[in-house]
Amino acid sequence: MIGTFEYVSARTVDEVCCRLGDAGPSGRPLAGGTDLLVDIRNGAARPALLVDIKRLPGFDSLRVGPSGEIKIGAGVSLNRIAEEPEIRRRYPGLAASAVAVGTYPVRNRATLVGNLCNASPAADTAPVLLALGAVVTVFGSGGAREIALRDLFASPKRTTLAIGEIVCGVRIPPHGGPVRTAFAKQQRVRGHDLAIASVGGAFFRGSRELRIAIGSCAPTPILLDPIEFGEITADEIVERVAITAARAVSPISDLRATTEYRRAVLPVLIRRVIERLLGPDGGER
Amino acid sequence: MMRISMTVNGVRESADVPPGLTLLEFLRDRLHLTGTKEACGIGECGACTVLIDGEPVTSCLVLAVECDGREIHTIEGEAVDGELSELQRAFIEAGAVQCGYCTPGMIMSARGLLLRRPDPTEAEIVEAIAGNLCRCTGYEAILSAIRLAAERSRTGVSDEE
Repeated sequence: MIGTFEYVSARTVDEVCCRLGDAGPSGRPLAGGTDLLVDIRNGAARPALLVDIKRLPGFDSLRVGPSGEIKIGAGVSLNRIAEEPEIRRRYPGLAASAVAVGTYPVRNRATLVGNLCNASPAADTAPVLLALGAVVTVFGSGGAREIALRDLFASPKRTTLAIGEIVCGVRIPPHGGPVRTAFAKQQRVRGHDLAIASVGGAFFRGSRELRIAIGSCAPTPILLDPIEFGEITADEIVERVAITAARAVSPISDLRATTEYRRAVLPVLIRRVIERLLGPDGGER
Repeated sequence: MMRISMTVNGVRESADVPPGLTLLEFLRDRLHLTGTKEACGIGECGACTVLIDGEPVTSCLVLAVECDGREIHTIEGEAVDGELSELQRAFIEAGAVQCGYCTPGMIMSARGLLLRRPDPTEAEIVEAIAGNLCRCTGYEAILSAIRLAAERSRTGVSDEE
C-alpha cells in the first residue's frame, strides 16, 4: 500500500469537478500517476481522494487538423505523442521532447497534460509547447475556458488552477504557414534523467518569427519574448537570444548542476536549437 | 475496498482491494506471482515491469484498481506448459542472466518491444530497455539475447537443437 485514499474512476468531467470541488485541497486528479503516485509513496502528497480521469470520454483523443492544429486530450500518453506520425512530421521538436521524459514504460502511463500540470520547472514537454503558443482547456464549475500555457505555471510544482478545476486537453493553434520545431536537453547521463537545462523553439517561416522557451532555469518553464530579425546571420541571432535568455533566467544550484553550469550551458543549447530551426535541411530531429 | 477483475496471464482474477494497493503488490502479495520484482518502487529501475494490454509499464506506479478490466502479462506468463518462451531461452543462451533480479522486468520490456516491433533496430532495443537497470551484465549480453529472440521468431527457427 502506498497510501490510504478513496479512488473514483469518473465518467463525466462534471463529476470530476464536483468531486474535486467537494474534496478541496485533499482531492487530486489522477492521469498517468507517474509523478503523483511517487509523491504519495514518499509522503510529499497525502490526498484523501484520487479522481481518475483516464476513462473520461474524449480524454484519450489525439486529433490533428489539416492546418496543423493539434488537440491532445488529458489522457493521451507521451508515447502516443512521440509515435503519432503527423506530430513527428509537423512538430518533430514536440515528439523529441515527449521522448525525453522518463523511460518507455513510464511514458506508456505518463501523459502530456500530466507533464504540464505537474508544473515542474524541468517539464520536458513545456518549452516546445510554449514556443508553439499552445493553449490549455481548463474545466471547472463555471464551464470550460482556454488559457495560454504560459499562464498555467505558477511556481515549482504549482499551477494557477483553482480547486475543482482540471486541464482537459492542450491545443496547438493552427499557424498561418509552415513551422519548424526543435528541442535540446542537457542531462547528466544519456538515458532517463531530469533536465539540467532544456530549450525548445519554434520558427514560423511565414512571419519569420522565432520563439524560444527554456526549462529548468527558472521557477517555471519560461517563454522568451518573440525574436524579430531581418537580414542578420544565424550567429547574431544566437547571440541575441542568448543575451535575452541570460536576463530572463534565474537558475538555482541543485544536485544536478550549479547555477554557473546552467548559465554556461544555456547558450550552447540555444545554438543547437536555432541551428536546427534555421538550418537548410529542415533542421529538426 | 473496491471490487476489481482483470485477466492475468490468461486467467481471470477478481478481488477486493484497497485503492492504495499497487498492481505490483496485487501481483506479488495477493496472487503470489513473485516473479515480478520490486527494487526502487518509484519507476526508475524497471524491475517491476509487466505488460498491460500488451504495453510495458512499471507496476509499482500503477494502482490495482486502475487495472479493472485489463489484461496483464507477467514473467509467469512467458513459459507455456513448462516450456520456456523463445525469449527466455535466448536470455539463457546469451548469458544475459547473472543475479537475475532485473531479468523478469527486462524480459517484459523485451516482450513489449517484440510485440510492437518484431524486427527491432539496435536503437529500438536499447531504447526499449533503457528503463531497466542491470548492475551485473553490462547489458551487452541482454542486447544479444533480444536480437537472438527477434531473429528466431523472424526466421521461424525456434530451437537450435
